Amino acid sequence: MAIKDIMELDIFKIITRSVTESNNLETMSNQSAQLLVGTLGIKASAIFALNPETEELEHLASFGLSVDYLNKGPIQIGKSKGWTSRKEPIAIKDVTKSDMLQYPEQAVQEGIMAIVSIPILFSGRVIGLLRLYHHDRWDISKNDLDTLSVLAEIIGMAMMYSRIRSALHSVKDTVSEVHSVWLEP
Amino acid sequence: MARQKILLPYNFTQYDRKALDFVSRNFLKGEQNEITLFNAYIPAPDIDLRGSPIMVKMKGQLDQLSKKVYEQKSALKEAKQNLLQSGFSKDQVHHIFEPVKKDIATSIIDQVSKGNYDVVVLNRKPAKITRFFTRSVFLKVVEALKNVTVCIVN
Repeated sequence: MAIKDIMELDIFKIITRSVTESNNLETMSNQSAQLLVGTLGIKASAIFALNPETEELEHLASFGLSVDYLNKGPIQIGKSKGWTSRKEPIAIKDVTKSDMLQYPEQAVQEGIMAIVSIPILFSGRVIGLLRLYHHDRWDISKNDLDTLSVLAEIIGMAMMYSRIRSALHSVKDTVSEVHSVWLEP
Repeated sequence: MARQKILLPYNFTQYDRKALDFVSRNFLKGEQNEITLFNAYIPAPDIDLRGSPIMVKMKGQLDQLSKKVYEQKSALKEAKQNLLQSGFSKDQVHHIFEPVKKDIATSIIDQVSKGNYDVVVLNRKPAKITRFFTRSVFLKVVEALKNVTVCIVN
């Protein structure tokens, strides 16, 4: 049986708009996670930032995952077996038959049957990960993976924009603290 | 000991749990102390479904989304229950669950001034990469607050 595409253009447009229309990364990432769950009919979705020093994925936003599952422990990108290229998406169709997961028991307890991981790239480097969790076995189509990869790149651009904006705010705050007396000759 | 109004911003992380434990251990002695758990949630986005047959079909799913977002309230009630179990009375523990305003830090700052709190208990996560992407809620709140005691749980 052919695998059906579920990532319709209208869904892509709505999620992309929610990313580009928001000027706040907290809101953008949380609402993207919400929309992915709502439109694709999946169990949950999460967006992580990658710490390049520790190789840990740090939670940025999620929807549909329990507090216990989110606090299960550090997620290290290098611990996923078989992930030869970090720049390619990975689809685990059935978590009970995969040795790629760091926390397989917790995934089963959470009611997760399938996981799709899409790297968030910026300038060709992995800066994070978009994860989709399904309560059923999930054979995601190549087209859907491609569409989700493009979405992840847009999220990556929004993350970097937010990073630059955040750095600018810090500079502004620091400059504002300089008393005018100190600038007089 | 004088009665104190304490605000505990709570976002369900392990660091928030530590802050909750801190409040249980340190503020139970004052029988009149009042604790308010506060969560500013990000509401589901408003989507115009007109003109898109696929999205109209998904209306039911999207309506469920708002309900699911609201379900977080029960997780906040669980945290409240933890405080009650540690010895606080029902009159002493309150919870506020409201949609986020401009951002989470602004929601906390507004709540502090609106509720006339004496103490705010914040937690500080260890150095994280996410701080480069989003401004630290902790720093924004600490910088903005005046005439309030801020306890930091690290």
